[in-house]
Amino acid sequence: MFDKTYRQRLEADLSQWEADGVIAPAAAASIRNVLPPLSPGINIAVVVGIVGGLLIAAAFLAFVAAHWTEIARLMRFAILIAGMVVAGGLGAWFAATGRTVLADLCASIGAIIFGAGIALVGQMYHLGDDFAGGMLLWSIGAFAAAMLTGSRGALTVALVAACIWTCMRIYNTPDVLHLPFVVVWLIAAGLALAWNSRVAAHLVAIAVLPWWIATSLRFDFDAAQPSFVLANGAALLFGAGLAIAAAPSPRALRLGSVLSIYGAFSLAIVAFLEVTTVDDIIRFRTGTASAQPLWAIVCGAVGVILALASAGITRRAGEILAACAIGLVLIAAPIWPASAAGEPWFAYAALLCAMLCLVVSGMLDDVRPRIVAGWLGIAGVIAGITWAVKGSLLRRSAFLAAAGIVAVAFATALNRALPRAER
Amino acid sequence: MTEMIASVTKLWQRIPKAVLFIVAILIQCVLLVLMVVDRVQILRDGREVTLQTQPVDPRDLLRGDYVVLRYDISQLAAGALAGKPAAERDAVVFVKIAPNANGLYEAVSVHAEPVAVTAPEVLIRGRVAYSCGSAGRTFCDRLTIKYGLESYFVPEGEGKKLEQARNQQKLRVVAAVLPSGRAAIKRLLLDGEPVYEEPLY
Repeated sequence: MFDKTYRQRLEADLSQWEADGVIAPAAAASIRNVLPPLSPGINIAVVVGIVGGLLIAAAFLAFVAAHWTEIARLMRFAILIAGMVVAGGLGAWFAATGRTVLADLCASIGAIIFGAGIALVGQMYHLGDDFAGGMLLWSIGAFAAAMLTGSRGALTVALVAACIWTCMRIYNTPDVLHLPFVVVWLIAAGLALAWNSRVAAHLVAIAVLPWWIATSLRFDFDAAQPSFVLANGAALLFGAGLAIAAAPSPRALRLGSVLSIYGAFSLAIVAFLEVTTVDDIIRFRTGTASAQPLWAIVCGAVGVILALASAGITRRAGEILAACAIGLVLIAAPIWPASAAGEPWFAYAALLCAMLCLVVSGMLDDVRPRIVAGWLGIAGVIAGITWAVKGSLLRRSAFLAAAGIVAVAFATALNRALPRAER
Repeated sequence: MTEMIASVTKLWQRIPKAVLFIVAILIQCVLLVLMVVDRVQILRDGREVTLQTQPVDPRDLLRGDYVVLRYDISQLAAGALAGKPAAERDAVVFVKIAPNANGLYEAVSVHAEPVAVTAPEVLIRGRVAYSCGSAGRTFCDRLTIKYGLESYFVPEGEGKKLEQARNQQKLRVVAAVLPSGRAAIKRLLLDGEPVYEEPLY
């Protein structure tokens, strides 16, 4: 889809350069010849087909929920099995004839009907007490389909079911870290690596977020601050993503860069959350208990170490700044209670510096999503400091003015120090 | 490492796609059949016990198309277990039940581990819904226990009838219980007459 847009732009450029005499017609022709043929991709008919397939899959789910007793339950079960077999059969045929998108769709529909089958068996035998267990079973079946058929859709179904499973388990037993999800997630990450698929990498990156968020919000901490625990998770995701991307393999580069992008955005969101929520936890300011459990601190520290290790391997200055950004967000937690009587100015300054580091890191490494994440973080932190309904607005105004003057002075110094080409 | 991944990928690509699709569907079918077999085993081999249902808040009764069931044995005094540490947050317990003069099974005692029973007593396994203590790992004085018999799925629009009967204490449940304590709903009795019989398949 995006390749087509690139080709159109390249064709327009080639025509323009030919007309301007920048390149010879022979050079333009050889450029055109060296390009591989465009893959058929997804046309409108396929899009409509995908919608139709998803509607049929949803119909199976609704059919089970309707509990239509005019059809014997064994017959209903047989209908679902037949649906799975037909979906699998069609998928095999599409795969054999090279129509990979439709084959993927069929595997996804099969995985959804499998879920409807679990619901039907639960309904037949009145299994209403362990919804999470049903989700785990659905996830296992969909994972099997994804592994065997290479279906991104089945992987989506598997990860969605796994996320529901882990969130329910965390809710039910908030005093235990739900580590089995990590195993499931690592399997999914392994698939994304093996497939060398950007879509799968995005799915894997998205899937880790509900688990970490649920853990941070629900886990039984004494006086812990969820946004600090979230920050440690974002740090680990960002650092691990950079380290994976630094490995000498194009597969690792693809997976790692996607993970690091999600890590960068998570870090920016967490910085905003810290500014807006931490002061509300009064007991944290007055209590003696740690604001973050040890395992979370270790995760954050590992994130910084991995980012530095990645910088050491790739020799990219931007990654050193990324490690600084992660470190500064993490440092905000211990320095927050230093000014329990007033405002946490140092913590605010650390977060602002962290987001600035993120922007510059993205600029140096030429990673646009990281730049966007950094800008969003800066906007969020400034908005949080400016409009937080607490403390003295006059002091906040003075802090923002001082921070602004420091930034302008720093910019002036940089402008003089750097050679003109690097500005 | 990269070479190994490449060779595994090559080997994988040699397997016909159709075979992989068939294996995927087979695995899913096997998982579904295993679920069915597990429940059929309880219904076929389990010993029948009749339990009295209790009315609960009507607003919670009909959620979509299922009826929430509570039993006389859902709320029990912990007895010797009260205040003792539990192995986990929602600990598994074993309730010894025995029939009364009306043939309805009532709780005799609650245990943290399986205990020997003599006929007509039956041991049913449940899970404590709420625990006491700061970490939730202590048995409370009164235990709310779930046996996996708390939901009864009904055809669209039929929940209300059962809900009313249950609130009038006219609804009873016959459950099949395996020696291991695992239970499944076998049939529903309305005024002593079977209204819903659960076939094995």
